[in-house]
Amino acid sequence: MCILRKRFALSILLFFSSFFGFSQDKSAYNALSIPLELKSNANAIIRYENKVVEIVSKDEIKVVSKRVTTVLNKYGNRHINAVQFYDKHTKIEKMIAYIYDEFGNEIKKVKERDFKDVSAVSQISIYEDDRVKYLDYTPLNYPYTVEYNYEVIYKNTAFFPNWLPINDYYLSTQHSEFKIVNNASIELKTKKENFEFYPITEVSDNHFIASNIEGIKQESYTPGLNSIVPRFRVALKAFNMLGVEGINNNWSDFGKWMYDRLLTGTDNIPQTTINEVKQLTSGVDDKIERAKLVYKYMQDKTRYISIQVGIGGWKPMIAEEVDALGYSDCKGLSNYTKALLEAVNVPSYYTVIYGGRSIRHIDSEFSAIQGNHVILCIPDEEENIFLECTSQTNPFGFIAGFTDDRTALLVKPEGGEIVHTKIYSAEDNLQETTADIILNDTGGFEADVVVETTGFQYHLHEGLENETQRDQQLHYKEYWDNINNLSIEKIALENDKENIVYSEKVKLSSSSYASKSGNRLILQPNMFNKVSKIPTRYTDRKLDFKIDRSFKDTDEFIIQLPQSFQLEVMSEGKSIESKFGSYQFKLEAIGENQIKYTRTYTLLKGAYDKEEYKAFRDFRKQIVKYDKTKIVLVKT
Amino acid sequence: MKTKILVAIIALLFTIQAQSQNYDFGKVSKEELQEKFHSNDSSAVAAVLYKKEEIKFHFTNTEGFRQERIVHERIKIYNKDGFDWATQKVYLYKGTSNSNEKISNLKAYTYNLVDGKIEKEKLSKDGKFTEDRSEHIRVSSFTMPNVKEGCVIEFKYTVSTARKSIEDVVLQYDIPINKVDIKIATPEYYIYNALLNPRASFTPKLVTSQKTTQVPFEYMMNIISINEHHVPGLKSEAFAGNIDNYRCKLSLELTAALNAQKILDKTFTTTWEKVSRTIYESQYFGQQIEKTNFYKDELQAQVANATDDFEKAQTVEAFVKSKVKWNGNYGKYSQNGIRTAYKEGEGNAADINLLVVSMLRSLGVNAHPVLISTRNNGIPLFPTLNGFNYVICSVQKGEEFLLIDATSQYSAGNILPFRVLNWQGRLIENSSVSRWVNIMPNKKSVESTMLNVKINDDFTASGKVSKNLTSYVAYSYRTNNSDISEEEHLKKLETDKGDIEISNLNFENSKDISKPAKLNYEYELSDAIDEIGDKLYFAPMLFFKTDENPFKLEKRDYPIDFVIPYSDKYYVNIMLPKGYKVESLPKKSILEFKDADAKFSYMISSNGQYLQLKVQLDINNPFILPVDYESFKDFYSRIVEKQSEQIVLAKLEG
Repeated sequence: MCILRKRFALSILLFFSSFFGFSQDKSAYNALSIPLELKSNANAIIRYENKVVEIVSKDEIKVVSKRVTTVLNKYGNRHINAVQFYDKHTKIEKMIAYIYDEFGNEIKKVKERDFKDVSAVSQISIYEDDRVKYLDYTPLNYPYTVEYNYEVIYKNTAFFPNWLPINDYYLSTQHSEFKIVNNASIELKTKKENFEFYPITEVSDNHFIASNIEGIKQESYTPGLNSIVPRFRVALKAFNMLGVEGINNNWSDFGKWMYDRLLTGTDNIPQTTINEVKQLTSGVDDKIERAKLVYKYMQDKTRYISIQVGIGGWKPMIAEEVDALGYSDCKGLSNYTKALLEAVNVPSYYTVIYGGRSIRHIDSEFSAIQGNHVILCIPDEEENIFLECTSQTNPFGFIAGFTDDRTALLVKPEGGEIVHTKIYSAEDNLQETTADIILNDTGGFEADVVVETTGFQYHLHEGLENETQRDQQLHYKEYWDNINNLSIEKIALENDKENIVYSEKVKLSSSSYASKSGNRLILQPNMFNKVSKIPTRYTDRKLDFKIDRSFKDTDEFIIQLPQSFQLEVMSEGKSIESKFGSYQFKLEAIGENQIKYTRTYTLLKGAYDKEEYKAFRDFRKQIVKYDKTKIVLVKT
Repeated sequence: MKTKILVAIIALLFTIQAQSQNYDFGKVSKEELQEKFHSNDSSAVAAVLYKKEEIKFHFTNTEGFRQERIVHERIKIYNKDGFDWATQKVYLYKGTSNSNEKISNLKAYTYNLVDGKIEKEKLSKDGKFTEDRSEHIRVSSFTMPNVKEGCVIEFKYTVSTARKSIEDVVLQYDIPINKVDIKIATPEYYIYNALLNPRASFTPKLVTSQKTTQVPFEYMMNIISINEHHVPGLKSEAFAGNIDNYRCKLSLELTAALNAQKILDKTFTTTWEKVSRTIYESQYFGQQIEKTNFYKDELQAQVANATDDFEKAQTVEAFVKSKVKWNGNYGKYSQNGIRTAYKEGEGNAADINLLVVSMLRSLGVNAHPVLISTRNNGIPLFPTLNGFNYVICSVQKGEEFLLIDATSQYSAGNILPFRVLNWQGRLIENSSVSRWVNIMPNKKSVESTMLNVKINDDFTASGKVSKNLTSYVAYSYRTNNSDISEEEHLKKLETDKGDIEISNLNFENSKDISKPAKLNYEYELSDAIDEIGDKLYFAPMLFFKTDENPFKLEKRDYPIDFVIPYSDKYYVNIMLPKGYKVESLPKKSILEFKDADAKFSYMISSNGQYLQLKVQLDINNPFILPVDYESFKDFYSRIVEKQSEQIVLAKLEG
């Protein structure tokens, strides 16, 4: 999948560094003087940070920064943040670092030429034109302190340095200062996020000081760090992206700029291709049906590749080129698909979004360069349809698990518009497991299992058909790791892309499942869909929590008992209702020595207060317990 | 009889088909494009239909011999998961200007079958990229146009370099190779030693010959060729270590150069003795050890009280660990020089361990460097400088040896970081004397666990756990847990133990490597016991039970490597709840795998309100060969089964 220019995310992190050298006193270098409360949840402490951003003109920003960081242990090393990405539009004027021991004595000075200088290419990408310089230092002892000073001039002003006085878990801040000097009288858009929860003083307009922010401990089910930490967002209302000027008062303006300056003129495709798609869709009246045919055409013709060139990695490769070469990145492929759809009279919009399993929104209130991915939106009366164009196998309109349930920017000719992508409900994200099991008198069994999934659960299961037989077998042995000595005899997989249902039929057996005890067999009837993980326990949870997606599982297992055994004890079932969802299982004796086990488990998405975490954990604990329910068989 | 004939006919058909293939560049056939899946491995996402690699040297008056490597590959892409093969990366060394490696003559096409006709498309300029990855490495990459399911891509390029050393020729990929032709022609002025990876499951045949050339003058060429069919894809397996150790490849080591008169001019390396000497005589190795002035005074103060040589060694090890930190780099040669490393407080493995050797020798201790090939460096195929990439220190006292690696905080005498535990070490006494030494642990590492269980009236369980860990199990536990907070440690301990709460955690000797690591804690377990009807059921090892057999493959091609011999012991004492008696207990059991290479025992007894359980797993030989895999898997599976057996308690009458 496409991740636009990782470097911007990184450079935002790195922007939060500092500047003036005169106002802090010597004690910032002495690790012994750190207040205890700043040390308790921290691997590193920002002792002093001062960053001044000077707006020289709409095509030049200068950042002067000084940052003093004390590192307490090896996990804190990365918080030194002595990293600078650069390219031909970013000029490093100065980079220097000093290392101090625990007592504040200087032990080393690192000049710019002693920083490591490497290509910033990522593994996923075939090509990026960025480079990175970073401080490569092996600490002698902990704690130690690093002062890092830099001055950098940016010619690309579409990305404006933000201020994040803390930007990670287990990092605390003693003093962090941020100031904008506007020498070009360009209007600024700014936004303060989460300031109210942190000790931050506004010295004057666009000048802030944060003091003594304690470290944040990471806890499971935490919503993204972005929604917790304080952040000062800034963007220029008039900016320059490597020679392309823009106006940004709101999303409408900004979207219009993107349309006019980044997209216009990139969507010509050859007449032969137009004819092909017209031919392909001739006689098809329904717009969506035509779109499906074109989407399939695009999937068969192209492939995804990460290439980061062009205007800051933001201008799509022209459609003609994509047509000729058959590959591009998310921008180029979405733009190309848009052109193909246009040829068959299906309007669609280039859509900027954050892609990823965890849900992250484009900030609807703050227009600026955002997002790391591009998809396509086909407006439809009932519900917008979103197309992932980087996958050659994805079903039409399917976005669960990567771009679902989040705000996105539609880039329309008349301007930008914020929309919310499809939300998959519990009923959309189904998993139905059925099984027929024949248990033998030594505790082993043979079974035919069918698993059908839709929505997000489809996303988790599909793709297995492309694995080797050996890996498919391994997959099931991991998937049903509650069964010892499992052997997989037959696998039949069906990926129904039209209805978006994944179905798995597996024939399997185990030579030892029910455990023996004297003349009894002890059997756990939930054989094929067992929850065994209890969420981590926190004695004093600090953060609220969030469940990103709803889902529903239903199970029905029919177990044929061996002739020589009879049922001794069996529970009838249990059920749980909670605000997080519901659970129930039932056990019934049916027919000749046969047992039917049925189970339904629904988990609901939602944002919850930290006080409710214990209840959530109890809910899951009970499920784990009930999923281990045993029945006892005794020899006749 | 019939089947035999059928087989013969099929074999014949295949031969005919094989012969009819045309492997010349550009001669992609319709049959190749029509193929829907690989005939030997139907799940292959792609296959190399043909790989040809030719390495040759040609003479120029200005530069002497220049090496050329001509690579030609034809790759079939069956489905979308194989699309990654349409992007190729070529790594080039950036040396001095004349040795600068270049890629040239890159020709590449994508072939598709459209309406029964072959259409080809050329790699365009837009599809080529060059990038300076680092100071020494340049990456030249290209990505093919119009890649679709079923297409065939074909490319050919030449890499030329002034270097005389030859890169390993890789003969096995993650996808199958149908046909591979390798030809390496080297001028007689350079002597190469050729070896195939003996640990690979595929062994190609090497054919050697000689040929005389007249261009631009008369000399002889040594030729090695490989012509093979059907090299299977390399698939990784859990617990096998570095899978590259099993990849089929041909290595060529430059051993000597002759002068114009064909008389031996320079020898590089041919025996392990010579390799050892060459390394020892380097200014970055032997000469380092002789430097002593810069630490003399400080060292004297440290060892003032130590009398015994091993005591001195341990003091020096601790002193070096406190003074110089490892920068993460391996190396048999000193990177910064031991003096600079000592002053600056950082260095690579050689800086640190040669410093240890130097200090110990300056104190009159019998200490020597030991060359190592780390686990990711694999086991060298033949004597070569590259066969070693790391150095540690050995101290001898009478018949006893102490091996030291001061790069890792929690290593100790004869407890080395896992990266070092590979193959054997080469101890060098001086430039003329060196010998092999065993570096693998022969003493078993032991983890013993005492578990006290009290079953309460509400059928929860509570009690205490105390663990004692020695040698390597202590090393690994310390490496993973000594530097995390107590809270973090507690959370890790609670993970996967069910509905448990752990308290009063105490980690003794967490940093004192001279003693066993000890761990104590208390627990409350809510879901230990099942009450079904009027009986109680539970598996007595509670949360220490092994739930899952990690060996899931039906068969393996590569060994299982546990690295160290170890013993895992549990002593469980259970106090039964009032009003209950034992109705049935699991049976005692002893399992053995292959002449006690591994052994499992399960002993249980009851005594009134108390139950005692002793469970022990011994891995005596940590290296399990593929031929024994099935029986080992079965052995392990029976361990899992045994541990899941339940104790049944019944109510006392009245």
